[in-house]
Amino acid sequence: MIQFILLIVKVILLLLILMGGFAYTMLAERRFLGFFQLRLGPNRVGPWGLFQPLADAVKMMLKEDLMPLQADPVVYRLAPVFSLLAALSVDAVIPFGAPIHIFGQTVSLDIANPGIGLLIAFAFSSLGIYGIVLGGWASQNKYSLLGGIRASAQMISYELAMGLSVLGVLMMAGTANLESIVLAQRAQGWFFLPQIIPFLIYFTTAIAETNRTPFDLPEAESELVAGYHTEYSGIRFAMFVMAEYINMMTVSGLAVTLFFGGWLGPSFLPPIIWFFIKMAIVIFVFIWIRATFPRFRYDKLMSFGWKVLLPVSFVYFLGTAAFVSGIL
Amino acid sequence: MIPFIILAVIAIAGALGVILGRQPVHSALALVGNILALAVLYLLLSAEFLAVAQVIVYAGAIMVLFLFVVTLLTAGKEEGEPPEELGGQRWWAGIFAIGVGVVLAVLAITHPGSAVNTGIPSNFGTIDGLGHLLWGPDFLYLMAVAIMLLTAAVGILVLNRPMKRPRVSRPGRRES
Repeated sequence: MIQFILLIVKVILLLLILMGGFAYTMLAERRFLGFFQLRLGPNRVGPWGLFQPLADAVKMMLKEDLMPLQADPVVYRLAPVFSLLAALSVDAVIPFGAPIHIFGQTVSLDIANPGIGLLIAFAFSSLGIYGIVLGGWASQNKYSLLGGIRASAQMISYELAMGLSVLGVLMMAGTANLESIVLAQRAQGWFFLPQIIPFLIYFTTAIAETNRTPFDLPEAESELVAGYHTEYSGIRFAMFVMAEYINMMTVSGLAVTLFFGGWLGPSFLPPIIWFFIKMAIVIFVFIWIRATFPRFRYDKLMSFGWKVLLPVSFVYFLGTAAFVSGIL
Repeated sequence: MIPFIILAVIAIAGALGVILGRQPVHSALALVGNILALAVLYLLLSAEFLAVAQVIVYAGAIMVLFLFVVTLLTAGKEEGEPPEELGGQRWWAGIFAIGVGVVLAVLAITHPGSAVNTGIPSNFGTIDGLGHLLWGPDFLYLMAVAIMLLTAAVGILVLNRPMKRPRVSRPGRRES
């Protein structure tokens, strides 16, 4: 019984962390983009704009929820929900900290700790694409449709390289359990050193999978108005944005778990704090890249994914396999 | 038993949705529902790797490709049935489907798998157990599948090879 209550508490806490994280990641992004571009960014609501997310939330919830007359009503309403659901569920398997002891119980800081946690994370994140494609299709609008089609092509192409890039970590740790992967890094050192090229490929593909600049072709505002979420407004638009930011936090969390030793760190700070510090650094790099690089052209995006990232990650994967099995 | 019945109902509803849906996108969505229900069924049968592979490969990749094509081709089209070319094929399809289903059910009941008597091995369905099977006794089948997939890939390349055309000198290199 107490296990069940703990589970419920953990789920609620995770949702709160993700939602709060979303709100303040967004604020941080807008502020940082402001600094990068020599302007102020949102700084009027509260000190340093700290209450801006609250104002935005109220605005989003009170706005009218529009639906185009041509739209397919069921799919149109389903798409943002699906997007957010897939984004949230990935985080269930990420271990945010070392297991803690509380009320005489050992509590692991993840919702579930399955033996194939890494694969489950990939399975859920591969479902996130449906929200975008369906949203683009259901709007019955040329720009939305183009955005959805671009998203599906882009995400399928980059998912392969992403999967191959983490296989090296999986082989070095000898397990697909995320907690064991973190513990393996305590013994072998953080995996980003031996796996630096797969890490860079993972990071590149992660930007592409979360549809962020320079890979934000599905919503390229200079060509497609806003891509797949052109027609959405109010809370449904907010769901798409939430899904994007939560996906960003998720891939950052996975990057920390797989390559940067998860919650490991010097003992003067608790493990969970180390995890969030590392995650914040990765998220900052995401924002930095957004402020720095211009958008890819579509054909270059495709040839980069298929002709550079995929072969390189495959070769490195084979090399790691040879190394781990003792041939090299 | 109750989870099985719920999942079976979802899976069958999804399968019916595929053939009854008027819009191709709705059919594709129903198929996704069917695939996800099957994945959870595999989980109940403690085949965890198979369940995850089902979601990653079928729901995450193949159905996305389906949706890609379907959304590309049906955008803004009026829905409507194409004229039926083979008379009565729906009825025949239904009859054959029921026949195959009955045969499969009979075979499953009369020839249960050996696991029913012996119980499943301890590492059944995990990456570990599956790896030992694939690279051990079933290695031949793995290689057969690999050759088949390679053939398919080569076939795609051959079918899509560019036609031989006399080279036209183009002023300046421009990509479309």
